[in-house]
Amino acid sequence: MKRHYIELWLLLLAAFVVVAAASAFEMPEVCGHQFRHSGIAEAITASRDTVESQLAEVIVADSIECPVPARTFPMPMDTTSHTILFIGDSMLEGLGPRLAAYAEKNGHTLYNVVWYSSTSEVWGRSDKLKNYIEKIRPGFIFVSLGANELFVRDIAAKRRQYVEKIVADIDTIPFVWIGPPNWKDDTGINELIASVAPKGTFFLSNGMTFQRSKDGAHPTRDSACDWLDSVARWMPQNALHPIRMERPDKKHGRPARIFVHQPSEK
Amino acid sequence: MNDILLNIRDYLLYDPQSPMLFSSGTFWALFLIFMPLYGLLRGRLWQMLVFVVAFSFYFYYKSSGVFVLLLGGTSLIDWTLSRLMTAPGRTRLFRKCCVALSLLTSLGILAYFKYANFFLWNLNAMIEGNFQPLDLILPVGISFYTFQSVSYIIDVYKGRVTPTRTWLEYAFFLSFFPALVAGPIVRADYFLPQIRENRHASRTELYTGLWLIILGVLKKAVVADYIAQYNDLIFQSPGSYSGFETLMGIIGYTMQIYCDFSGYSDMAIGIALIMGFRLADNFNYPYKARNISDFWRRWHISLSSWLRDYVYIPLGGNRKGTARTYINNFATMLVGGLWHGAAWKFVFWGAMHGGGLAIHKASRPWLDRLPDIWPLKALWWIVTMSFVAALWVFFRADSWEDSWLVLSGVFNDFSLAYVPAFASARMLWLILMILIILAHALPSRFHGLAARWFVASPWWLKLLLFLVVVQLVLELRSEDVSPFIYFQF
Repeated sequence: MKRHYIELWLLLLAAFVVVAAASAFEMPEVCGHQFRHSGIAEAITASRDTVESQLAEVIVADSIECPVPARTFPMPMDTTSHTILFIGDSMLEGLGPRLAAYAEKNGHTLYNVVWYSSTSEVWGRSDKLKNYIEKIRPGFIFVSLGANELFVRDIAAKRRQYVEKIVADIDTIPFVWIGPPNWKDDTGINELIASVAPKGTFFLSNGMTFQRSKDGAHPTRDSACDWLDSVARWMPQNALHPIRMERPDKKHGRPARIFVHQPSEK
Repeated sequence: MNDILLNIRDYLLYDPQSPMLFSSGTFWALFLIFMPLYGLLRGRLWQMLVFVVAFSFYFYYKSSGVFVLLLGGTSLIDWTLSRLMTAPGRTRLFRKCCVALSLLTSLGILAYFKYANFFLWNLNAMIEGNFQPLDLILPVGISFYTFQSVSYIIDVYKGRVTPTRTWLEYAFFLSFFPALVAGPIVRADYFLPQIRENRHASRTELYTGLWLIILGVLKKAVVADYIAQYNDLIFQSPGSYSGFETLMGIIGYTMQIYCDFSGYSDMAIGIALIMGFRLADNFNYPYKARNISDFWRRWHISLSSWLRDYVYIPLGGNRKGTARTYINNFATMLVGGLWHGAAWKFVFWGAMHGGGLAIHKASRPWLDRLPDIWPLKALWWIVTMSFVAALWVFFRADSWEDSWLVLSGVFNDFSLAYVPAFASARMLWLILMILIILAHALPSRFHGLAARWFVASPWWLKLLLFLVVVQLVLELRSEDVSPFIYFQF
């Protein structure tokens, strides 16, 4: 083998070792930016119990059933029109247009705030939610967060304060937190949100089946419609503060405004 | 310990959710094992051939599972027929039958997997029938290696290429893993002599290869995957955005498809170069083109030259009069459109490009008389790019309706008042777009200079640059890596 060929191989090997070794440690935070790691160490050393349950994911079905038990006494329906604020991660790409169709049908005004790759931590650390609430003055809030933190280790200790901060920011405004559409078993994010959010404000999406887009994580547009339909069907019987959510004829609508934030923002 | 071994085994097995990508950690790890073994065997032709063919078939298994058998079967049929065809004493009719059989097999397989449901769907629409679509999965890269197989068999028939003596050599050519799943489409007359040459890559070639890999990763995994997040928004909810935002989405997709595909090509060419093989360039700054003919000389060069040699010229090319030239151009682009996908939108896309080429050819005598001044050059560039970008909308949108919604969306609520808000909300998207457009616009000699600087730079600096690029990928990646757009073809 020639010398420069070995040199190149050593370069690629050294880079791989550095990236793999770094993934075994907590990455540093510089000027508020948390560096990401490759996850190689985590993927290689994952316990088989977790992996087996990840592989057991079932694909597709039109009939999406809500696994949350029905409440014995449904709350009275609020039939007035509301300004709705919908915040969350990239899952809003699918859920947002469908909720906009519901808003048009039921006389609500919808504002979507998509923050890509965001987590409860990112929202909890920032004042964005508070600012949007002050700016838009919503009468109802939907939250879709948790998909980017399905596999965070020791999540209850790391994220509880941020989930609590989000719920505190929402304050007395009625809300529904739509849980992440698990494509693998989570390490406790659903349990954490359910324990912080008052009863009737958390819609558990884990256990539902979805058609996934090419990335294997996001539900397809049609499946996201079914997902939001399930939330709308769940609300009258189970939500702490059900609002009018009659099923619209058209599949997608246009929100009054969409605000977009990039992963790099704080 | 047992868990670790089982996890590694899972990564080595076929997973339909995660095909093997050059920019993935799995490929990187496997390439680290591949490299020293390849380096040791490089001087021994037959051992090297066995090793690379085995690795290529494994690579294809990781991407397409059981369809690796199809690749093996196709290569065996092609090779057998090519040997039969060139055996002494064969009649012309016999040789023609061999070509026909080979084409029937390879194109038949492609037609079945790629076009059967398209045919059924159209048949249903025409006769109001009730045929159920077939439960078919398109084997990854089948369009690419089928075209390689077709060109090989035709070249052997025409006497342009001497058939390989062994199946191993042919399998090496057909399954060469850097170009297997998304091109560039390798031509036998260019590639086979390199196998027999069996030479080591020089130091310059090795590090130019690494440079191309770094560029490819930057284009694909940093730029294309990141800007796709915004572009997907526009195409998934057409009509939900203002005209300005929609226009940005269209321009964004125009750059995304270039970065995605040319990034993959760069990685493929770079890996081949490290192995001591030269693959022809697949892109030559296509968005610098000032007319549609020039665009097709610069975009997906391996496909356009394949279409020219095996469709356009056999149809008569420009040898049968002006009208026939236009028809041949148009028909060739229709085939090109259909090659990209089994849907009318691709046929339309190909037809529009064919029409564009015909119009450009027809107006050439008039255009050649115009002065060669920069305002006109700028005008032709804007016209060409608008045409190309508008047609990408049909390529990307999920349906006809969505395509028209996106295009008409540009004129809906278009206002420059959106610019400041857009710039503040999508700053990184905008920065990446500006950087890639500037890099594309630079004279090509700058790219050559950068490559030479990288090759001459010290080892530690190369390592540092490589690590920075990997970290950039990690910082900007979406939750799951997007597959290459051209995987679907």
